[in-house]
Amino acid sequence: MSRETYVTEALGGIYERVKAARVLMVGAGGIGCELLKNLVLTGFGEIHLVDLDTIDLSNLNRQFLFRHEHIKKSKALVARDTASKFNPDVQLMASHANIKDPQFSVAWFKRFDLVFNALDNLDARRYVNRMCLTAEVPLIESGTTGFNGQVQVIVKGKTECYDCNPKEVPKSFPVCTIRTTPSQPIHCIVWAKSYLFSNLFGIDEDESPDLDNSVNSDNASEIENLRRENLELKHIKDAFGTSEFTRLVFEKVFKIDIDRLLSMEDAWKHRKAPVPILYEEFQRSANAEVKKAASKVASDDQPVWSLAENFVVFKDSVERLSARLLQLQKNAAEGSTRPVLSFDKDDDETLNFVVAAANLRSQVFGIERKSKFEIKQMAGNIIPAIATTNAIIAGVCVLQSFKILNNDIDHAKVVFLSRRPERIFSTESLQPPNPHCGVCSVARCGMEVDVSKFTLHDLVEQVLRAKLGYSEEISVVTDKLLYDIEFDDNVDKTFKELGIDDGTFVTIIDEEEPEGSTPRVNLELLVYAKYVIVVLVVVTVALTIHREGLGDVDVNYKLTSIPEIPRKPVPKPTEEANEVPVSNGKVAVSAGLKRKAEDDELVEVNTLDTKKSKVETRDEDVVVVDDDEAIEID
Amino acid sequence: MSSLCLNRLQEERKQWRKDHPFGFYAKPNKSADGGLDLMNWSVGIPGKPNTIWAGGLYKLTIQFPEEYPTKPPKCKFAPNFWHPNIYPSGTVCLSILNEDEGWKPAITIKQILLGIQNLLDDPNPESPAQADAFNAFKKDKALYERKVRLQAKEYAVS
Repeated sequence: MSRETYVTEALGGIYERVKAARVLMVGAGGIGCELLKNLVLTGFGEIHLVDLDTIDLSNLNRQFLFRHEHIKKSKALVARDTASKFNPDVQLMASHANIKDPQFSVAWFKRFDLVFNALDNLDARRYVNRMCLTAEVPLIESGTTGFNGQVQVIVKGKTECYDCNPKEVPKSFPVCTIRTTPSQPIHCIVWAKSYLFSNLFGIDEDESPDLDNSVNSDNASEIENLRRENLELKHIKDAFGTSEFTRLVFEKVFKIDIDRLLSMEDAWKHRKAPVPILYEEFQRSANAEVKKAASKVASDDQPVWSLAENFVVFKDSVERLSARLLQLQKNAAEGSTRPVLSFDKDDDETLNFVVAAANLRSQVFGIERKSKFEIKQMAGNIIPAIATTNAIIAGVCVLQSFKILNNDIDHAKVVFLSRRPERIFSTESLQPPNPHCGVCSVARCGMEVDVSKFTLHDLVEQVLRAKLGYSEEISVVTDKLLYDIEFDDNVDKTFKELGIDDGTFVTIIDEEEPEGSTPRVNLELLVYAKYVIVVLVVVTVALTIHREGLGDVDVNYKLTSIPEIPRKPVPKPTEEANEVPVSNGKVAVSAGLKRKAEDDELVEVNTLDTKKSKVETRDEDVVVVDDDEAIEID
Repeated sequence: MSSLCLNRLQEERKQWRKDHPFGFYAKPNKSADGGLDLMNWSVGIPGKPNTIWAGGLYKLTIQFPEEYPTKPPKCKFAPNFWHPNIYPSGTVCLSILNEDEGWKPAITIKQILLGIQNLLDDPNPESPAQADAFNAFKKDKALYERKVRLQAKEYAVS
């Protein structure tokens, strides 16, 4: 019996299309392994696989194409090797690379009939979404978190794109909660990981370029006085690698800094005041209490360590990390950037440091301590991943792909998987594109130019104003603002000088608001660089002379099409409602001041679920309270 | 840069160009390749007239995160700026700049700068961010005000 017997029976006529299909899979992780197995066994003709990641021990419980001997090898390449044995008729190509690399150009995306996203982060999802919209290739987007999962079909011009709906962003904590007023274990964990660890072993904050300090030298002594906090840290860093280092760090963060916080008495009127802890006391008691070596304590990740145990591990991990960093610095080549350590939940020494430092800080602030196992989850932003959820979602991806291959988009769905007893699947019909979406509701076109000759002035005058009829009020943006009505410093620079090259997107924002109308939607120009070949130099020179004679007239560019650039829809009324704080600016602000004003730098913490953004909708009513008056903002 | 963030920042720039309070400035920083970095702005806030802050034009940087305007920007004075609610690093401690408190995506750059201008002369004693200015403000008003005036002179528009 042929391997095709059952699949032909099950799929009927679609199977021919499946066999002829050329598909791209981005990501070979949890969903990716399941999906690749499905695609190969279904008999998709050609599958290209891209993943930049390597295999980690923690992947093996659910990424079944990988085995222990594959650890540290490329996910894409190993997945290809394993899955190719399932079905020799399938052409399987793999790239161990970042999907954002220029080699994966729009033209390259266009080669595929269909793209599957099996990604784990917002940034790459957004990027592939945009590339698929530009290349006009259908995309099947998927994600899982724990028991929840979702699959969405995206077709340019017909359905919502990935960015048509706002996404939940990861929660972050204000640094004053982290540095001054922690109240939960997670605050202390973030402090240990993002503040203390990076200050001691990571990038030196003092070396980062700061504001120019316009305070003059009249009160230099005062400034010196105020700078003592930085100086203290510098002084401690001088002792790096010596036996004194651990004690100095401990005293600074658990005693001196805490005493300083205590000196601001008012801050502790309505809060529990922190209690400093002393190195000497720990030193004495720890030796008596802890019979086990630090490594023995640290190997036990289930129980919550005693204070003395935390102290022993703190000391041990600071010493180990210091020694490691010194060794790295010694080995570093002259003139290269100074090596630093970074936190990694799977790097046991860095994890031990964070566990012990977080627990000691919890002690200072009267917060409960946590076990190493718990802290690893919290510090590593571990999103629970369940093999079964991934398998179900990967199956749904393939089912949706049949509808696309069968030109039956109308029956494709957004599918949600959740853990409810009555019904685990729910579906929604695909919605038309959101006309306000800044990603899919834009005009697009390709533009071929010689980037070493073509200038910003040429773009603005020849292409945008003369050809496409824009007014003066436009801005031209790549990842930087290159031009607008107030900023013309760059007009004489060539595309090359401005960092625009093959594959760069240049966004044109229309800022003119004609009476009774709206600006045009954004225009995205995709640049195709045309290079002058060396043998043609003579001809080029001749052309240049010719061109000078004629002024700007024969500037060389070619648009792939003349884009239609419609006007933006009239803004949604909700945006008007959001204007409330304008008229009440003072209220909103003074309300802010009366309330506990807590804010410093924001520290990224929890990359929870950027994935299941559509599963939950949140009520957005906000109430601004100013003692006795309340303003509701809908 | 996400399209939402980019469109909003360019819109902020346009609105500021059309209308901004007297004596303030706000502009994106120039980056090495000559373009303007919309994610990082330099701004100036004048002290309110008839207060001890008058005469100074206080410089700040504003850093917009990738998730702006869902998340608020970070506003920073020079390190060791003398004010009870400014961290030693220069970071401003203000509820409208806090995601968990007063921040709303509709808040404009203009509103942020006016909010910080208010904060200068109206510190919040509930939420100290640096020990020196805070303790002076609570216990030695004369010293506090002398330092503020001195600082105003240092930031005076020349």
